[in-house]
Amino acid sequence: MSENTVRNWLVLAGIVFCLAFCLFPFIYMLVISLSTRADFLSQRASFKFTLDNFNAVLTDGSLHFPDYLRNSFLISLASAFFCVVIASLAAYAITRLQFPGRMSLLFFALAVSMFPQIGLVGYLFKFMTRLGWINTYQALVLPYTAWILPLSLWILVSYFSQIPRELDKAALVDGCTYRQILCKVILPVAAPGVLSVFLLSFIFAFNEFMFALMLTTDYRARTVPVGIALFQGLHGQTPWGNIMAASVVTTLPIVILTLVFQRHIMAGLTRGAVKG
Amino acid sequence: MKVELTDITKEFTSLRGRVVALDDISIKIDEGEFFVLLGPSGCGKSTLLNLIAGLEKPTAGRIQFDDKVVADTDRRIFLTPKERNVAFVFQSYALYPHLDVFENIAFPLRIARIEKAEIKKAVEQAAATLEITDLLAVRPAELSGGQRQRVAIARAIVRKPNVFLLDEPLSNLDARLRIAMRAEIKNLQDKLGITTVYVTHDQVEAMGLGDRIAVLNRGKIEQIGTPESLYEKPAGIFVAQFIGSPPMNIIDASIIKADGKLCVVLGNQKLVIPSEKIREIEGLKENHFILGLRPEHITINPPDNAQMLTATIHSVESLGRETAVYLDVDGLAITALCDREGMGKGRQVRVRIHLDKMHIFKGER
Amino acid sequence: MSDITDKEIKAACVFISPLIVLIFLFILVPVLGTLLNSMFQDVAFLDKQFVFLRNFRQLFADSGFRQALKFTLLFVLVSVPIEIVLGMAFAMLMNTHIPLRGLLRACVLIPWAIPAAVSGRIWELIYNYSYGLANFIFTELGITTEPVNWLGTSLGAFIAVVIADVWKTTPFAAIILLAGLQAIPVELLNQARVDRANFLQVFYKVVLPLMKPIIIVALLFRTIDGLRVFDLIYVLSGGGPGGATTSISHYAYKYFLGGDFGYGSAVSVILFMIAFLLSVFYVKAGRFMTGQV
Ligand SMILES: Nc1ncnc2c1ncn2[C@@H]1O[C@H](COP(=O)(O)OP(=O)(O)OP(=O)(O)O)[C@@H](O)[C@H]1O
Ligand SMILES: [Mg+2]
Repeated sequence: MSENTVRNWLVLAGIVFCLAFCLFPFIYMLVISLSTRADFLSQRASFKFTLDNFNAVLTDGSLHFPDYLRNSFLISLASAFFCVVIASLAAYAITRLQFPGRMSLLFFALAVSMFPQIGLVGYLFKFMTRLGWINTYQALVLPYTAWILPLSLWILVSYFSQIPRELDKAALVDGCTYRQILCKVILPVAAPGVLSVFLLSFIFAFNEFMFALMLTTDYRARTVPVGIALFQGLHGQTPWGNIMAASVVTTLPIVILTLVFQRHIMAGLTRGAVKG
Repeated sequence: MKVELTDITKEFTSLRGRVVALDDISIKIDEGEFFVLLGPSGCGKSTLLNLIAGLEKPTAGRIQFDDKVVADTDRRIFLTPKERNVAFVFQSYALYPHLDVFENIAFPLRIARIEKAEIKKAVEQAAATLEITDLLAVRPAELSGGQRQRVAIARAIVRKPNVFLLDEPLSNLDARLRIAMRAEIKNLQDKLGITTVYVTHDQVEAMGLGDRIAVLNRGKIEQIGTPESLYEKPAGIFVAQFIGSPPMNIIDASIIKADGKLCVVLGNQKLVIPSEKIREIEGLKENHFILGLRPEHITINPPDNAQMLTATIHSVESLGRETAVYLDVDGLAITALCDREGMGKGRQVRVRIHLDKMHIFKGER
Repeated sequence: MSDITDKEIKAACVFISPLIVLIFLFILVPVLGTLLNSMFQDVAFLDKQFVFLRNFRQLFADSGFRQALKFTLLFVLVSVPIEIVLGMAFAMLMNTHIPLRGLLRACVLIPWAIPAAVSGRIWELIYNYSYGLANFIFTELGITTEPVNWLGTSLGAFIAVVIADVWKTTPFAAIILLAGLQAIPVELLNQARVDRANFLQVFYKVVLPLMKPIIIVALLFRTIDGLRVFDLIYVLSGGGPGGATTSISHYAYKYFLGGDFGYGSAVSVILFMIAFLLSVFYVKAGRFMTGQV
């Protein structure tokens, strides 16, 4: 066998392993969610198909799963939106306007992103309690936005600084104000970067756990990750079928996002990381 | 619109420290004039254009459009580009990549919130002027360099600017296209009659386009004048060498008196100074000067028998119609232009120097 | 100062102020508050009292904290190298020219993209003693005769947590490393081919040295992230058995939950400091690398 054939076989084996490694928990999750009983493997019972689990998590009001889902989507969308807006403004100022301390601001943001979340959550809890915001959307949206901003800033700065300055000059001569340059020129030209930031911010906010655990108390603001982590059956025993069905429903939008926007998510991540 | 710059100075503070990009510059540009800023890279041409546009603020000085002061450091006046109503064409064209050609041209009008129907009419007219009507739906990425330049110019003329500013608009084009576009820009400017300031580092372009040219060097003006006057009467060595191709010969020369006649010494040979230049030579305080002589004012192996130098042909370069001959006159390198063949390398030739056409510069080079 | 720069500075202030305000209110203030709180006795229902370093003195005598510290460091030490090595392999696979490469990349991305709490739940079920997938495979393949008590023993729980974390975060390492791989000039690899270097030689002599800076970046990102691990473990093992898999973040969280904000803050501050020291090391290493390369 030539070196090339060996290599091709190795690559094939690697890909099979890689796919199996990454995907088998999902397949398992899907199978359990669609099965009448979670223990069919050990009991040597045959797999029996059912949609009861999905039915339960999506319609049983006492489980509150649809509430969690709605909370998660609204909170993540709001956080991602604020992140994009606020980070764009700051990234524009840093890359385009002459003001003292531009670079320090960038490194300040980097330093801030190094703080572990646990260092914030205790004080945030007291802060939110005093404001009476515990278990509200704003108690999560604001910290999420602040917490994701540094990464968003870095990614957008890297995209914005690649746009030629002459484009700004042309826009200035054409009569734009700074705000118009940002909205009508920079943002559209950096659209892929903006999309990356939006997706990443959404994913980060959607997945966040510790703040949500500490700052929410029930279905009115609780997000999906916490909901699934604290999922209690109605009748004592862990309702694995329901949990897996809820997990499938939660994972699905993220999986679709990843499949559709793989390129943008990867680009954003690498820009954020490699620059940092 | 007249444009008047008075005592303009521009400094930049960068990591390298302070850079004086423009040093006390005054220029008056007439209504409808095609004015060219010419100079080597880094001499401050773009900076000057940006100052006129309002993209940079002068460190000191005043800029007036007709009687309106658009920038004055003493009175702390500074109008933005928008308020000055200037149009700018950039070297890299600076087209908006996310907009099609129509929207690119319409952009300044949209910002000015002009009515839709009017925008459409204005854009179509500008597009027709530059013959890009069939490209209106295309994105800039799909255009050739020449087409992009046309779009950039269309965007500039669409809103009838007071002043038309172009920063090396042709330097990204290939040689043939550059010549074609040059003619077109000249025609367009004639037709529109808008005061135009055009930046280039290419003296051929400057000579072909400009009503008047300002030659800049290291942030200072060397000379302002018509193309002819710059060529015929360069004010200094810099202009003399910068304009014309191949460049003017610049030779250290000394004067002696021989047989009662004033002579110039070139290498080990001497030439009698013709009567037209005697006055000028006598005005010199020293017996040293710098002699400037255009290559076309040197003839090799002329048929007549006037006074000659002998020289060796060092090398020969064909420029197409003409031939540049690099001569060695006792160690002095001199370039001549001639239209004849048969200039073998290493050959001894007789050279006629038209001293009546020489330029006399004082000082050191 | 000239007008235009004044105007620019004003505009800049407007543009950056939302960012500054948010980061100040929701990151800096809490961080400073935590620092301050760590020097107070701040327990629910008791008066707040300044105790200076007493919380920290207690920490060093606290066997629960020592266990959390030991677990966290060990966890990082074991899982991060596995993630980097595996991530390197995945990155190289993702970088080969194969059909549907985009799909492969997306699949690798998925474990990273889903909530850690969800993956924690999935792995919890996989490790279930009586009917989990892991024990099913182990007993079916005859690797063990008895089911393994994954989450019931210290070692089992540690292994379980490490495997789940490797699964969850290898994609991140792979993506960072892929970016590094893509930055290697193709001519260099072709040159190595021309020089008849075999695959392994190319990897060790060309790829690895060029990847060194980016490997360090990935290593430190993962390290800093691993130090603050919380959600995956909280859901998967609940920190058990008997605190064997309680991370520092988790330990602090328990005190916050119990209403002891002073002590919880002190634990967080220690985590800060470890992360800070690593960041400094990271910046230094980064400088060192750029100075060298
Ligand atoms: N923003 C700036 N900060 C610092 N120095 C600058 C800045 N802009 C220009 N300069 C300096 O000012 C001088 C003139 O620059 P300018 O761009 O006007 O030159 P130019 O004549 O247009 O050259 P080119 O033909 O290369 O475009 C240069 O020395 C340049 O380095
Ligand atoms: Mg320039």
